[in-house]
Amino acid sequence: MVEETRPDAALGLEGVPHTGEAITAGGLLTEPQAEDFQSAKAAPRDPVWYKGAVFYEVLVRAFSDSNGDGTGDLRGLASRLDYLEWLGVDCLWLPPFYASPLRDGGYDISDFRAVLPEFGTVEDFVYLLEEAHRRGIRVITDLVLNHTSDAHPWFQESRQNPDGPYGDYYVWSDDDSRYSDARIIFVDTETSNWTYDPVRGQFFWHRFFAHQPDLNYENPDVQEAMLDVLRFWLDIGIDGFRLDAVPYLFEEEGTICENLPRTHEFLRRCRKVVDDEYPGRVLLAEANQWPSDVVEYFGEAEVGGDECHMAFHFPLMPRIFMAVRRESRFPISEILAQTPQIPDGCQWGIFLRNHDELTLEMVTDEERDYMYAEYAKDPRMKANIGIRRRLAPLLENDRNQHELFTALLLSLPGSPVLYYGDEIGMGDNIWLADRDAVRTPMQWTPDRNAGFSNCDPGRIYLPVIMDPVYGYQGLNVEAQLNNTSSLLNWTRHMIEVRKQHHAFAEGDFTELGGSNPSVLAYKRRWRRPDGHEDIVLCVNNLSRFPQPVELDLSDHRGSTPLELTGGVRFPMVGELPYLLTLPGHGFYWFQLVEAGDDSVPGGETR
Amino acid sequence: MIDPHELVDKLVSALPDMLPNLRWFGGKDRPVSGVRPLRTTLLDDDLVHVIVAVDQDGRSSPYQLLISELADSYESTADPELNGVLLDLIARGERVDGLVFAHEPDTELRTGLRGRPVGVEQSNTSLIYGQQYILKLFRKLTLGENPDLVLHRALRGVGCQHIAQPLGSITTDLDGTPVTLGMLQEFLPDAVDGWAMATTSVRDLMAEADLHADEVGGDFAAEAHRLGHAVASVHADLARALGTQTAGATEIASAIASMQSRLDAVLHDVPELGEHSAALREVFEQAREHLGDIAIQHIHGDLHLGQVLRTVQGWLLIDFEGEPAAPIAERTAMRSPLRDVAGMLRSFDYAAHQLLVGQDDDQLAYRALEWARRNRAAFCDGYAEVLSDPREHAFLLQAFELDKAVYEVAYEHANRPEWLTIPLSSIARITSGGE
Repeated sequence: MVEETRPDAALGLEGVPHTGEAITAGGLLTEPQAEDFQSAKAAPRDPVWYKGAVFYEVLVRAFSDSNGDGTGDLRGLASRLDYLEWLGVDCLWLPPFYASPLRDGGYDISDFRAVLPEFGTVEDFVYLLEEAHRRGIRVITDLVLNHTSDAHPWFQESRQNPDGPYGDYYVWSDDDSRYSDARIIFVDTETSNWTYDPVRGQFFWHRFFAHQPDLNYENPDVQEAMLDVLRFWLDIGIDGFRLDAVPYLFEEEGTICENLPRTHEFLRRCRKVVDDEYPGRVLLAEANQWPSDVVEYFGEAEVGGDECHMAFHFPLMPRIFMAVRRESRFPISEILAQTPQIPDGCQWGIFLRNHDELTLEMVTDEERDYMYAEYAKDPRMKANIGIRRRLAPLLENDRNQHELFTALLLSLPGSPVLYYGDEIGMGDNIWLADRDAVRTPMQWTPDRNAGFSNCDPGRIYLPVIMDPVYGYQGLNVEAQLNNTSSLLNWTRHMIEVRKQHHAFAEGDFTELGGSNPSVLAYKRRWRRPDGHEDIVLCVNNLSRFPQPVELDLSDHRGSTPLELTGGVRFPMVGELPYLLTLPGHGFYWFQLVEAGDDSVPGGETR
Repeated sequence: MIDPHELVDKLVSALPDMLPNLRWFGGKDRPVSGVRPLRTTLLDDDLVHVIVAVDQDGRSSPYQLLISELADSYESTADPELNGVLLDLIARGERVDGLVFAHEPDTELRTGLRGRPVGVEQSNTSLIYGQQYILKLFRKLTLGENPDLVLHRALRGVGCQHIAQPLGSITTDLDGTPVTLGMLQEFLPDAVDGWAMATTSVRDLMAEADLHADEVGGDFAAEAHRLGHAVASVHADLARALGTQTAGATEIASAIASMQSRLDAVLHDVPELGEHSAALREVFEQAREHLGDIAIQHIHGDLHLGQVLRTVQGWLLIDFEGEPAAPIAERTAMRSPLRDVAGMLRSFDYAAHQLLVGQDDDQLAYRALEWARRNRAAFCDGYAEVLSDPREHAFLLQAFELDKAVYEVAYEHANRPEWLTIPLSSIARITSGGE
């Protein structure tokens, strides 16, 4: 007989409000309520802000340390908001900052209603939100719906009191034979989706690690409890959630237990809560699947989408890398041609890099071998099914390629998601374990700890990058702010240009083809509510050599291409194919200005 | 309203001087002795279709022109508005005097589109309508149905995915024999020809000649593999649609004889080929001796990297006209599909070596050869996924390849002497047992 312990014993949250601080007479755990805290003033009203927003993924741990303990925190992040506002960021995406034993990078949440103490408190988060909203910046965070940490008081109660109110919160079974068609996701570490719990004397179901039991969505109380978790943070003022691992919520015998209809049904319930109670907030699905499958998570097209507002486009990213290495547009053209239309109210999220490895799950075996050969020449660079490197080292620190990739990210269909540090071309450290390679401290200044923290350097959570090429002494925000030709200033300018043309955000996408396979050219066309059309033309040279291209712009005869970064007018489009020449890895962004359109500065067509 | 006959009279008197300067005119090597109008058709208020006979050396060849009073020097195909008339006639399925404008069954076409002429073309004129359709006008007319149209229709009939779908045609009769004037197909604005794709890859390799062909980012082998698969699929579809036959000893002997006689002719003009003549004859003889019956069918007939298009849906084959210079009987005959394979293999060789013309760099030459071998093998691997591996018929394949190379020797000698090294070095390599 295992001795019964307090359900909140494993949390380590003494002295801060948390789930399971007290237990009611009916056996219910007391949970912190939003009313216990202040809530942040909302960001400026805009129901479809996510369609044009520039997102910035930032790890709280890695950005800025306000209290000198060597770990970044919410107050530290708040102190850097001026920088992010200056850069042009519209929305921060924070990977989980909840209470957690950190056995899975914080995705093992032990209390949905408390903040990891090293990052701060719920009050600190309110402060961050308030400061961000004041600058017009929104904040979203990850929420794991599928499972909790085994340290969560719900699980502790469930295993100790099978007949109590939490007894049915998880998927328990007397044997490990059910749902045998579901694959094991972490094949490296797990041998079964079932693990025996000696306390309860039963097996529990887990799609991920054995320390992450799956919640039992068959239980209406679980559904309500998770909707209340959404409400808790939405009441505090958060602008949305990236829903982690959404395909796995329900189980059904005889299926692979992924993408089941009832999983979609629950997502529609989440969406309805958002629409009815918190309009203007967003749900972003993380479903690393083919675009034709991911569109399911947008929901019903006829009503403009009734599940998630956004979803990541996973397969596009590796193909951008592949296209540039092959000097051929086809890897990009093909995946975009296979991407279905999405409902009106929805938007893709696109990215070049994030806190995970450059994931190669959504490529064929042949393509995966190719990517490994080209971008992970040292086997240490590989991780799981992917490549654990940052953007600049992936591109061999080539400024021209870095600019080309950024231009593609900012002009292909979808809202761009930047990864912290890539705007200054930060490096990685492949000698650190696993994905820590790309999670080193942000490099602010040439001072101690790169200006990230004033702690003793030995105390810092990961060493700052110190190599001669990417080291913080030379490569940091301060140095690049002072240099008008820096990557940082260039990136900021491009974001600014992007925001001047809503066609980049919501415009139709039409690829223009052309006889040169190394040139990727496309139009983005947006019809403003007043009927005026904004058309931008993007031409990208994927080759390292200069290239000519002849584009068929016959639909725009008489228009004048206006180059967007410098405002230079190019020759008028005539009957013949439009000839452009591009330097190696060069690109152009043009606005196509119709003859007689004087809404454009210098728009006369003499 | 113009008087078409008056316009045609003026055209006919101007043509003898104009023809040598027109790109599509195929008789530039001989003087024009006369031009006679054969048929004049008013298609629209401002557009006249005319077929003329051009007399040269006592032989007469029919050509078609589209003319207008509105156009400079008669020719109207530079005028996108006037070109729109042709599409509208096809869409409506009209017959104007003897000219039959027809769309393919089950197709509906948009009308009112402007037709822009394609810039680079040799013997035909192509018009592109609104990024959707392309109309190829055959300039020099051949009596009998054009193989391009016949094969496209047959392939469409069996649902072939590796062609640009045929959508319509313009046909007529001359002296009671059907003649194809034009063919309308879907236009693929995203397409890139195989030559541009392949030379992009070669360029990448040449810039990093310390890396092997399988190590560089621009490796083409995966594309070559898919291309081989596509060519074999088209061959399989052609066989399914139009049947196959068996060629016996007599046909093989006559094919070999024509290879030998081509060799004789070229040897006469190009002394550089002399050192290889014995080896070449030996290969041709070997092919004759070792061959049993072989399967023949309709084939593309002039396949090379410039006749394939990469689109987002995969590879397509275009221009099933056969070798334009060959007589129509040869172009429409059943032949071994290995001829097409040999044409592609030669084309890989050309793509690999074209950047080296005029250069003397052993390292680059080594890399070029490596690229050619890698991609030729990948092409054959892809082909073998659908039909039998072409390398199983080594004697015949080698003979076809060498025959093609002999033809290239003659062509380069006459047109680009500095390129002569490409086919000559290939001949040396193949006859000495290399691939």
